[in-house]
Amino acid sequence: MKAAVKVRSSAFLPVQSLKFLCVFPYFPPFLPSLLPVDKLLTALNLPAASERISEALKKEVSADTYERWFQHLEVVALDDSTITFQVPGQIHQLWIESNFLALLRSTVMLAVSGERAVRFVFSDEPQPASNTAPEWQIAPATESDDALPDDPPSHAISGMNIRNTFESFVVGTNSQYAQAACQSVGNQPGKTYNPLFLHGGVGLGKTHLMQAIGHHILGRKRGAKVLYVTSEKFTNDFIDAIQNNTLQKFRKRYRLADVLLIDDIQFLAGKERSQEEFFHTFNTLFDGHKQIVLSSDRPPAEISALEQRLVSRFDWGLTAELQPPDVETRVAILRKKAEALEIKLNPGVLEYLAERVRTNVRRLEGALTRVASYASLSGKQPSTEKIEDLLKDILQEEARRAVTIEQIQKRVAEHYDVRIADMTSKRRPANIAYPRQVAMYLARELTKMSLSEIGEAFGGRDHGTVLHAHRLVKDRIRTEEKTRQTVSFLEGQLHR
Amino acid sequence: MKFSVSKEKLLEGLQLVQNVVSTRTTLPILSNVLLQAADGQLRLTTTDLDVGVCGSVEAQVEKPGSTTLPARRLATIARELPASEVIIEVDSKNTASLRCGQSYFKIMGLPEEEFPPLPRFEGAKVFTLRQKDLRDGLKKTSYAISTDETRYVLNGILFSFKDNKLTMVATDGRRLALIDIETEFPKSQDVDLIVPTKCVNELARLVGGDGDVTMSVGDNQIAFDVNGTLLVSKLIEGNYPNYRQVIPGEAKERIALERELFFNAVHRVSLLASEKSNSVKLVFTKNNIEIAANTPDVGEAHESLPVTYKGREFSIAFNPEFLMAPLRALGEDEVFLDLIDEMSPGVLKIQTPFLYVLMPMRIS
Repeated sequence: MKAAVKVRSSAFLPVQSLKFLCVFPYFPPFLPSLLPVDKLLTALNLPAASERISEALKKEVSADTYERWFQHLEVVALDDSTITFQVPGQIHQLWIESNFLALLRSTVMLAVSGERAVRFVFSDEPQPASNTAPEWQIAPATESDDALPDDPPSHAISGMNIRNTFESFVVGTNSQYAQAACQSVGNQPGKTYNPLFLHGGVGLGKTHLMQAIGHHILGRKRGAKVLYVTSEKFTNDFIDAIQNNTLQKFRKRYRLADVLLIDDIQFLAGKERSQEEFFHTFNTLFDGHKQIVLSSDRPPAEISALEQRLVSRFDWGLTAELQPPDVETRVAILRKKAEALEIKLNPGVLEYLAERVRTNVRRLEGALTRVASYASLSGKQPSTEKIEDLLKDILQEEARRAVTIEQIQKRVAEHYDVRIADMTSKRRPANIAYPRQVAMYLARELTKMSLSEIGEAFGGRDHGTVLHAHRLVKDRIRTEEKTRQTVSFLEGQLHR
Repeated sequence: MKFSVSKEKLLEGLQLVQNVVSTRTTLPILSNVLLQAADGQLRLTTTDLDVGVCGSVEAQVEKPGSTTLPARRLATIARELPASEVIIEVDSKNTASLRCGQSYFKIMGLPEEEFPPLPRFEGAKVFTLRQKDLRDGLKKTSYAISTDETRYVLNGILFSFKDNKLTMVATDGRRLALIDIETEFPKSQDVDLIVPTKCVNELARLVGGDGDVTMSVGDNQIAFDVNGTLLVSKLIEGNYPNYRQVIPGEAKERIALERELFFNAVHRVSLLASEKSNSVKLVFTKNNIEIAANTPDVGEAHESLPVTYKGREFSIAFNPEFLMAPLRALGEDEVFLDLIDEMSPGVLKIQTPFLYVLMPMRIS
């Protein structure tokens, strides 16, 4: 026993003496020119330093050791003499200092080219603080165990719908990519895709995925500060802060978040002060390796009146698009929803709904609710006629959205500044033929008409002409960015 | 105050309490033992303000009363006394006359009022454990307590009462010892507390008999009642680190070892472990462990130990002291060494709920 004590204390000695040693200046005086460059490099870029150190450590220790002790290691401060790491808990500091300090110090030396004293701070430890002496008399420790960590998240998730989780999200080919990106962000916030930018039309699941990220992170790390706001709320908070002179509080609220989820970012367009404030918030969080997720109804570059520096930052990480679901996905969504609502409808009814309501998941679910409530109130399965009657307005709206060839011709002609008559005429100069081909392509894509019907509508052309036009435009979409933009713009216009 | 007591009883009482008395203290009263004679009993109390002990022995009390006398001096005298019966008389100025056979001692004491009273425990949580269990727990964990004073929360054993189980944990950052003891208490009594090293050492001296030990946990204090002897201590304030993080996942290899053989082999080989690297290497091959150590320019030692081992061949190095400490403390004949790979911590286990996590050293 005595011998063990002796050895133990001497085992600690080098640790302490090393710590003390490395406070000495690390640059010999004859190398002064190195200092400013190095300083610039390291002081500005903490995430890069974290990255470099993590990468180096990964190679040095076993996977389990890395995961257990170094995975969440982050550089939070760095100057000429000291490097400060943030670790999840006291135990991490203890174990790293006792077992890996020499390794860490040499890694730091290589990463920032110079010796630094190593310091640690820890973030919120998930371990419940159950042994604080004064508390036990008031509340039994077990109860406070649950109550304590529960508190902050419930505050943090205010405004997030508890039902919007990954589990309840139906993945189809339309959303596969976006969902995978979100899942990956949820698993490793701040590490994989940062910022993550989701865009897509109304009611396609942007908000759902975003909140799913939030819930997922909270589920994994209970103390995490997850902030979900719409850009409108951000603007309003900002205005309030200016009005009441509480900018400090505002900044603290947003800049100390671990995960910031901002919905409908397009509403920041034209609000210059808010954009500026957001720009700084964005930078602070990004530099601190905090996850940022944004959503909008269109890609960053297409949001008008958004400052270029913001656009470029949004493009920095990953941009994922959500597209309208195909019919199979729509049926799957309806089934899942029906299951969640505990309603039983004939598969035929679900298919009918999926077939008729195409563009918007929210509307799809609305239609389902309406049919389901009829079924539960009347106690019988609704017939097709009954459904049509129930969903009259929705179906009309959908029908109104169905695109006709006339609309396509008109829109395309307007866009390319040719006459509508040219769409059907026999003339074939390039400036007319090309728009006509685009119109044919759109007609093929957006309507259910056959090739020969389309050919007929374009001045009695035969189906081969239409097929050729379709192929040609499709090729150009694939190869030319400008064509893609034009065609998708026209598509958007037609769907409006 | 006047009483007579047998030399053995007096010595027994003093040995019970004298360890607490600190050698260097700014308060003279703390180097004294409080003596209270009444009802055929002599009560002895010492404290250093962090830990206090109070025990009693039989005595023939002629005139009840109390005083304080220098504890260590009194113990030294008691040990050397010539006869079996000791008569102690204390006057109103706290001067004690001690007679035993032909010997006579006069010792200057201090008034009882100066002696700090031991804290009282009211409305405290009470736990009862078998002395044997607690002794076992202390023995199997206390060697891993950190002596690094900058990490004060580790300068003690964590007693975590939860789910009808007492979990005792000690760690110094390189190894961790943990034991679970089944015991019953109401759920509302779940609590985590850190008992400081000094109290642990005192407690280890007290427990071991057949009876129970009663623990009362009060506001940042704890009292142990062992067969009428009371040990009171402050608790270490703060949160014990989340030790569960340290415990490795599933082991790849499990080796059953005869504890004593293994301990002796490691001990022998460690004689040639260099002071600088201070490690012994365990090389696992089929049905064999080779234990090896060397010091450059001095020499080397090897020893083979036949075991049942069918896993892959690999080697791992440990600090020999850290490897031997639990082997010394455990009483079981058979221990299990769980290993993952050369970089991951080893875990020593026995049949009952105990584990010892030990970080490996880098093999250069």
